[in-house]
Amino acid sequence: MYFLFKQNPVVVAGSVIAVGSLLLALLSGFIVQPNLWQVEHLDQRLCWNNPAFSWPIPNVYNCSGASYPLGTDSYGRDVLQMIILAVPLDLEISLTIVILATIVGVALGSLAAYAGGKIDELILRVTDVFFALPALVLAIVVMVVLGRTLQNLTIAVLITWWPYYVRLIRSQVLSEKERPYVEALRSTGASPLRILFLHILPNTIYPVIVQMTLDIGGVILTFSALMFLGFSPNPTLPELGNLVTDGINYVFTAPWLIIFPGLTIVIIVLGFNLLGDGIRDILDPRLRR
Amino acid sequence: MFLLVFILLVISLVVFYLARGALPPEYSLAPYITPRMSDAQKLDLAQSLGVASAVCPSYSAFSSHVPGCQAPLWSQYVDWLKLVFSGNWGYSQLPGLVGSTKTWDVFSARFPYTAQIAIFSSVLTFLIAFPMGIISATHNNKLPDHASRIAALVGYSLPVYWFGYMLQIIFVLYLAVQGRGLFPSSGALATQCAICFSSPGVIPAITGLPLLDSLLSGNIPFFWDSFVSLILPALTLSLGTIAALTRIVRSSMMEALRQDYILLARSKGLRERIVVYRHALRNAMLPAITVSGLIFSFLLGGVVLVETVFAYPGIGQAIVDASLVVDINFLELYVLVTALILVVTNLCVDMIYAILDPRIRY
Repeated sequence: MYFLFKQNPVVVAGSVIAVGSLLLALLSGFIVQPNLWQVEHLDQRLCWNNPAFSWPIPNVYNCSGASYPLGTDSYGRDVLQMIILAVPLDLEISLTIVILATIVGVALGSLAAYAGGKIDELILRVTDVFFALPALVLAIVVMVVLGRTLQNLTIAVLITWWPYYVRLIRSQVLSEKERPYVEALRSTGASPLRILFLHILPNTIYPVIVQMTLDIGGVILTFSALMFLGFSPNPTLPELGNLVTDGINYVFTAPWLIIFPGLTIVIIVLGFNLLGDGIRDILDPRLRR
Repeated sequence: MFLLVFILLVISLVVFYLARGALPPEYSLAPYITPRMSDAQKLDLAQSLGVASAVCPSYSAFSSHVPGCQAPLWSQYVDWLKLVFSGNWGYSQLPGLVGSTKTWDVFSARFPYTAQIAIFSSVLTFLIAFPMGIISATHNNKLPDHASRIAALVGYSLPVYWFGYMLQIIFVLYLAVQGRGLFPSSGALATQCAICFSSPGVIPAITGLPLLDSLLSGNIPFFWDSFVSLILPALTLSLGTIAALTRIVRSSMMEALRQDYILLARSKGLRERIVVYRHALRNAMLPAITVSGLIFSFLLGGVVLVETVFAYPGIGQAIVDASLVVDINFLELYVLVTALILVVTNLCVDMIYAILDPRIRY
């Protein structure tokens, strides 16, 4: 499998980006000071002094003093350092949501598929209700009711994401349930839970792994959209959606405030999407059941 | 049909319980009071609407959360359902409109604009994604295929709001003509862009959709200004769905082109165009149609972001304001209408699927 991995440049590129962003997240405390986002340099707001690029805007304020590779924002903070501080927060929230959604979704979906009958019907109806609303709308409603903290944001996005895993694992387990080895296990007297979690699930887990990798990017997009709309706990929190919100009053006077945080989101999500697609291509013969 | 009613009831129940249960009782009464009501009138109104119980002594007791003063939530829900079926959604709580405009009026004034964006984005999605996917599948592993795969992957990874601002920066800041941007950057009827008319006039309200009404009444400047304001928001919104649909069309076309009947058609000497469009495409359309339900769901969610970015006066922009001031009735109305649209769309998709595939019979 390592040879297949090396052969596919898409996977290599994607995994480089994904691992790179995870490394950046882990090392960000050493690269920049973590409390930097609470310091304001009000004399150097909205300035740009990177000689590599010049904007077609008449009055760009030139920073005096330190050099800011990506300019400063409306509080006077360095945009590059804010982005480096934002990456670990985003990845941490995203990984939490994806792992929790997978656990809940896989547990419920496999139970529904294996038990069949009324339980299956009930869980299907519940997921139908969740599918009747767009993810963003459902998350907005939950945030309105619960209030604005990071925990509530995590809960809101978690509530919108678990039904996808239920559907995914349900179709896999339904087809796996008919195989001869399951019947053999049943005839030896193994309990249903044992059959389900020790035997069926390990064989059906590959599509879930692919989906998890793809969803890390999707979840980042969703909750950064929520933060952009204004549901963040603190408007000065360094988070990629929040950094875009800071810049919306200055779209035509300081566009670097919007361009670079968004570009970071694109790169991170692209990395995880490439990685997920590459894993799916590698495991493809095993996915065709 | 019963599924539709069941889903709507469950959603309205859950939102109702969450909202009225988690928030103080003043929020339950707020949509129904007009500015100059006295406390006694407010208490009467609360008791007649079922929000306060009959034994509540005064309005101050009600608003300081004296236990026993608020009616039980299930009876509040039943009373609220009766109000809603008689068409009374209360007064809107949006900033600037408190107590003066009805929620239903605000919603129905803004809904046509959202409908315009959603419909135009869906049309754009299908118009662009199908040709791209077909070309990608027929020229497999050559340059058009690689280009469209990369474009689809990148389009999948873009945040909708960021792409909206990028389009604004490109088309309004960089491509400016004589100091004015090429496309308008905000609003539904722009007069400030380089290619807009500056005084479009007014149109009668025939269907409610400004684009259609301006066409039907022959007011071309109005139509052009509305259309030009619609292009950037619709492009932003449809990029993600174009990416998703292109990938699905590509993979299902490639699957269809591998089948034996395609080999037979080619060996019969049929032209390649007929082989691709009349035989392969028909069978490849089915997975693409099943995914259109998901696409529409993404469109309805993304419309909130696009309307915020482009200041387009639709219900998506209103829902952000409504969540700030917690306007429960507007929230409920929005959630119910969205769920209704999505469930009806999914039902239509299922019916179209059953028509197209003779193997499926309900």
